[in-house]
Amino acid sequence: MLKVKLRTTPRADAATPLAVPVAAGHVVPFPFAVAAGFTGASGQVAEQPGPERRLLLIGAGEPRRPLDWEQVGGAALAAAGRVVRLAIDARGLPPEAAAALAAGAALRAWSFDTYLGTPEPGASALDLVVDRPEAVAPLWARAEAGVRGCLFARDLVAEPANRLTTRGFAQRLEALAEYGIAVDVLGRKRLRREGLGGLLAVGGGSVNPPRLAVLRWRGSVAAPPIAFIGKGLCFDTGGISIKPAAGMEEMKADMAGAAACAGAMLALALRRSPAPAVAVLALAENATGAASYRPGDVLRMGSGRTVEVIDTDAEGRLVLADALHFAATRLKPQAMLDLATLTGSIVTALGAHRAGLFGSDAALMAQAAAAGEAVGEPLWPMPIGARHREDLASDIADLRQCASGRFLPDACHAAAFLREFAGSTPWAHLDIAGVDIRAEAGPLGRKGSSGFGARLLDQLVALYFEDPERH
Amino acid sequence: MPDIAFVKPALPRHGALVLPLAEDWVLAGLAQAIDAATGGAVQRALAAASFKGRKGQSATLWAPTLEGGTAGPSRIVAIGLGKAEELTSEVLEAAGGALLPLISAEREAVVAAEALTAPQTASLALGLLLKSYRFDRYRTTEKEEDKPKLERVALATDAAPAAKAAWAPMRAVADGVFIARDLVSEPPNVLHPPEFADRIKALESLGLEVEVLGPKEMRKLGFGALLGVAQGSAQEPRMVVMQWHGASGAKAKRAGQKPVAFIGKGVTFDTGGISIKPAAGMEDMKWDMAGAGTVVGLMAALAGRKAKVDAVGLVGLVENMPSGSAQRPGDVVKTAAGLTVEVINTDAEGRLVLADVIHYCQERFAPRFMVDLATLTGAIIISLGHEHAGLFSNDDALAQQLTAAGKAVGEAVWRMPLGEAYDKQLKSEIADMKNVGGRPGGSITAAHFIQRFVNTKDGPMPWAHLDIAGTAWATKDLPTVPKGATAFGVRLLDRLVAEHYES
Repeated sequence: MLKVKLRTTPRADAATPLAVPVAAGHVVPFPFAVAAGFTGASGQVAEQPGPERRLLLIGAGEPRRPLDWEQVGGAALAAAGRVVRLAIDARGLPPEAAAALAAGAALRAWSFDTYLGTPEPGASALDLVVDRPEAVAPLWARAEAGVRGCLFARDLVAEPANRLTTRGFAQRLEALAEYGIAVDVLGRKRLRREGLGGLLAVGGGSVNPPRLAVLRWRGSVAAPPIAFIGKGLCFDTGGISIKPAAGMEEMKADMAGAAACAGAMLALALRRSPAPAVAVLALAENATGAASYRPGDVLRMGSGRTVEVIDTDAEGRLVLADALHFAATRLKPQAMLDLATLTGSIVTALGAHRAGLFGSDAALMAQAAAAGEAVGEPLWPMPIGARHREDLASDIADLRQCASGRFLPDACHAAAFLREFAGSTPWAHLDIAGVDIRAEAGPLGRKGSSGFGARLLDQLVALYFEDPERH
Repeated sequence: MPDIAFVKPALPRHGALVLPLAEDWVLAGLAQAIDAATGGAVQRALAAASFKGRKGQSATLWAPTLEGGTAGPSRIVAIGLGKAEELTSEVLEAAGGALLPLISAEREAVVAAEALTAPQTASLALGLLLKSYRFDRYRTTEKEEDKPKLERVALATDAAPAAKAAWAPMRAVADGVFIARDLVSEPPNVLHPPEFADRIKALESLGLEVEVLGPKEMRKLGFGALLGVAQGSAQEPRMVVMQWHGASGAKAKRAGQKPVAFIGKGVTFDTGGISIKPAAGMEDMKWDMAGAGTVVGLMAALAGRKAKVDAVGLVGLVENMPSGSAQRPGDVVKTAAGLTVEVINTDAEGRLVLADVIHYCQERFAPRFMVDLATLTGAIIISLGHEHAGLFSNDDALAQQLTAAGKAVGEAVWRMPLGEAYDKQLKSEIADMKNVGGRPGGSITAAHFIQRFVNTKDGPMPWAHLDIAGTAWATKDLPTVPKGATAFGVRLLDRLVAEHYES
């Protein structure tokens, strides 16, 4: 995490470049930049030539929202390149913009170098130069919580599956207790007692046993909690319906939904959110083993319903179904959102630029979409039609887990399946299969895990769930 | 298909008598009369069948004996309409569709529709008629008893003139639907581009103005993209322009009226070309001209009901074949708009056809809006399935109108996103764009490809694209659509015009 220091003047240190955001439509007061055609348009960078301290002008375009300023901050960090420390000049800007600049820089600065002999060089400290540090400090503290939640999620997603096993993941979650989050991890015995047959079956083929992690943040408002449900497949081979070898290494990220939920919980705790929240994370490894579940198996789920397994690689919906049922019945939340790298179908539908949004509650869905827009994690509403549910009719069980054949709307099928286990609790489902990994660097992150969802959930709570008059 | 008539109520002496009943309705009119004439047998039969008038319920009473030994209907069929306060046109159409198989063994049927309003009566008839469609011209040995016998359905109503008036435009739209279904159902060795164009030409009898352009004319217009797709086939391509001057008469052009415009993809068979498709299921590719078929059906519907609108329909008709002269992956073609396209996948041919036709449409007609229809991507099926067509648009108002119209006629559309990040996926190293943007967001990038040919430089050009790959063909019966070609879009766009664009 980038160390951010608020200062009123840049330190006298020629090795620290100074980045100055310049909005479009203003007179650019630097002849070198004018000569280079720099207008302040978004995406532009101009660097003053010469031996003295590096001066970087960062095109800010027409920034309106905090998100726009975050992208400018990220662009500044990226433009600085291989330096230890960077200064961003936010003097003359509103405190909100200054805090957002730092947030963007911190998001862009993250890298995962745990296993590198020589860590990639990059800025580890930021001097944020502002007019009134006392006005910026509380805003930064708030923004920093969301950033740290996001980066926690990125770290978890980036970890290889031999390191982040189900037990390893649970340990990382248990460490959140230090922030005031109560963590309860259910092992096999308790999962059996709860009857969570979906999670037990999916995790059955691996030497790493399945876990259900329950995280609780009490908050201060006396209200039922909001619940985040995460798919945490620490590795997904596909099981008996094994995946093709090419690209399978990416399946270490099949726990990105759970990671985002955990990141959101951390963010809420760090900023002492008044809203009570819980996270229910279904952790399992879908391995190809002698004890693996099979296509054709019939499972009895936590809700008592029976499910016919068609494809063991459609395992996410099985663990989520049990987690949703557990959350709805044991924790009685006022709303539930699940996040999951669930289907290839959603990647075909929406690509890498939006996550799919499904649900049973229009208001909750609209709130989630608005929160996503605010933090640059956009969603797009998708349908659950009557046909989608009909396609899940089984000859032997209450329903089948997915349909079989070519050209299937599997993301819609998966959502129709999950709806059966959400009960009457307002529910939304985010299929983040296309957005969990950044294929190339963007203003708010390098190539690699994106942490998509952590900031969205934090923002959702901040916008809609902290009002004590709610419910 | 049966004739539909609206008659004064009278008990039939043969055939079927149909009693459409909502929940809690008491028998009245003909229903009451037949119950009385059978000594209460109808009431008893309904009770025995636990018939409550619920949606989807039906009950049949066979050959009831009439008091006095007079001749009567050979069957009495009660059909449930659901809740009386929820009698939408969709409910009545579905009831009409559900009714058909229950009476199709009779030659004649009388429907006791006295309790329904005139539009409700017409909707019931429409559902029945739409469901009765059959494409059987290539069955040469079908046994007589397997063929449907129903020749005439008479809807008994006290408001026959009003029902007839409501029925006339519906009938015209149904005819448009049937034209589209016929075109989509035809095998590809019969319906190649020249034959397709000839069939459209024959619709001049409805009052449509039809122009057919061949390869020579299209070469002159610079249709490099469309011609590139067509060049592998022994069948010549065609572009057909249909005009309907319903608002301003034949002098529309001189009066300077802007028409509404519909553009259809008409790949009469799509092998994929050199990027050839897998063999399994390739026969489905005969309906890769459903967009064009729909536009033709729509134009016929507008002309048939004398819609007060100026409308143009343009279809690009080609066959996509692999051959020694076929277009290759890597080829660069120049479109009529002057933009160049690197052809990465010859199976992404629909957008190439649409690009030239859309550009031509806009240059020539400067329409009020453009809606294109195409069985464009498999990705839209993976995205939405078969219940919704994908809707892409640069105009929120038009998108909302289309969504509402689709909902009203049971042809649902679902809006999908557009955005710069998707558009970037079309970047080519050698030309202005590639014709595919990769698997992620495949339907969205296809829409972006088309959007690049919608010229908004001289002001807004409202445009919508309907990807109907998942809805053009039904693999199982739907309420008013028998398995097969659906003509999805004809009713939707007819409703769009009727609701918003008629003077």
